[in-house]
Amino acid sequence: MEFNKILVPITGTKVDEEAMRLACRLTKKEKGKIWSVYVVTIKRSLPLDAEIASDIQKAEEVLDHIEMIAEEEGCEIETDILQAREAGPSIIDEAVERGIDVILMGVSYKKRFGQFSLGDVAPYVLKNSVCPVILYHQ
Amino acid sequence: MYIIIIGGGRVGYYLGKALLDEGHEILIIEKNAAFCNIITEEMGSVCICGDGCEAATLEEVGTGRADMLVAVTGDDEDNLVACQVAKYKFKVPRTIARIRNPQNEHIFKTLGIDVTVSATNIILEVIEKEVPTHPLTHLLTLSDKDMEIVEVRIPPKAVTIGKSIKDLSIPAGSKLALIIPKDHNPHLPTPRTILREGDQIVVLTTPETEKNLRTALTGI
Amino acid sequence: MKVLIMGCGRVGAQLAGLLDAESYKVTVLDISASSFRRLEPTFGGTALVGNGIDEEMLRRAGIEETDIFVALTQGDNRNVMAAQIAKHIFKVPRVICRIYDPLRQELYDTLGLEAFSPTTIFAQLVKEKIES
Repeated sequence: MEFNKILVPITGTKVDEEAMRLACRLTKKEKGKIWSVYVVTIKRSLPLDAEIASDIQKAEEVLDHIEMIAEEEGCEIETDILQAREAGPSIIDEAVERGIDVILMGVSYKKRFGQFSLGDVAPYVLKNSVCPVILYHQ
Repeated sequence: MYIIIIGGGRVGYYLGKALLDEGHEILIIEKNAAFCNIITEEMGSVCICGDGCEAATLEEVGTGRADMLVAVTGDDEDNLVACQVAKYKFKVPRTIARIRNPQNEHIFKTLGIDVTVSATNIILEVIEKEVPTHPLTHLLTLSDKDMEIVEVRIPPKAVTIGKSIKDLSIPAGSKLALIIPKDHNPHLPTPRTILREGDQIVVLTTPETEKNLRTALTGI
Repeated sequence: MKVLIMGCGRVGAQLAGLLDAESYKVTVLDISASSFRRLEPTFGGTALVGNGIDEEMLRRAGIEETDIFVALTQGDNRNVMAAQIAKHIFKVPRVICRIYDPLRQELYDTLGLEAFSPTTIFAQLVKEKIES
């Protein structure tokens, strides 16, 4: 199975790297391309276009690192920082806008209130995506 | 503008949509999770599930930078408290409350709410304007002076027809300003002016003396 | 002294009984008649069914001659609204208001209502029990 356009949302956790290597494997040789996005979520107490230097700097570092990995694997990659109130809807919007073939997300094992939890973003993407979604669970 | 709407029922839902279309940043706070889901699915990330009267919730949504807060839940007391918390704790410049009981209008004003909207009063105003038999119509409210300008129409068979103004017990707070007879030119009333059927009388009065004024002029 | 109590729950009914026994003239207002079952059979005051955030109803319950108004319904916002009507519209000399939410209680306290929060008081009480 190979895809032309893959969207890889990342968050700066350890699972990012493996998800990206997997995305590279799934990309069509020669003409496939990967988009990787980092969503900076803005609290409601700030306007949506607020510039939070520390968050943006972190996003840039994370994206730089992921770009390096894609290049190691010999894949074409484009990265972007998105700014939104919530990550889920902005990932979906990005996928629609770019005409993405598959969203590939890394998720790590997390507990919330003592129980296993996927968080808010992955379930939202699974529920609302118009293209196939692959979750890579570390 | 950043506008916070408390209550995601029908009023809040359509208000939110209209304000979004006008390009405002909005946020709806709604208690019922099912309503929240509908709003989020249709309008995007503009709704949170919570109690809009709780200071903690209002803090989280950045009420401090809001230009306006509109409380449109179905309960007057909830709308009052949401507006008061916004105004006194977060210094929101304008607060608007929906009210169900029209009597609450002056209570809310006394308690510092900038604007109240009462569907009952709006419908009543329309009825007054549309139904010509209603003898008293509100033309203008001078809210800072607690006075209003009304128009009283002398209905057919009114007991006051044929009497002169000096013989009527016009309340002290009311000043007759103008008489518009059915077939003549408007003129200024004098104590000896005699009332005719169909006269329209423009009066400066207060909300408290409005009923007495109507009775004095029409007998109703 | 005339006291008007809004809300005939456990606290409202008990307070009504205590004050009634001490020669206060007590009126209890509740939205539901079934709440008055909580009043003791010996209660000698007045029990009225009605909405305490309705100005007309408050007038009928005699708020204009009341010396003390106490808001004790289950709803914080109802209590806040009724207490403010009593204080600012009817100028009742003493107005006491229960607000469960500590943050709202703090705010209305600074706005001049004599408000107390059972939440804060009870948590403090339990803490003191633990420490004693």
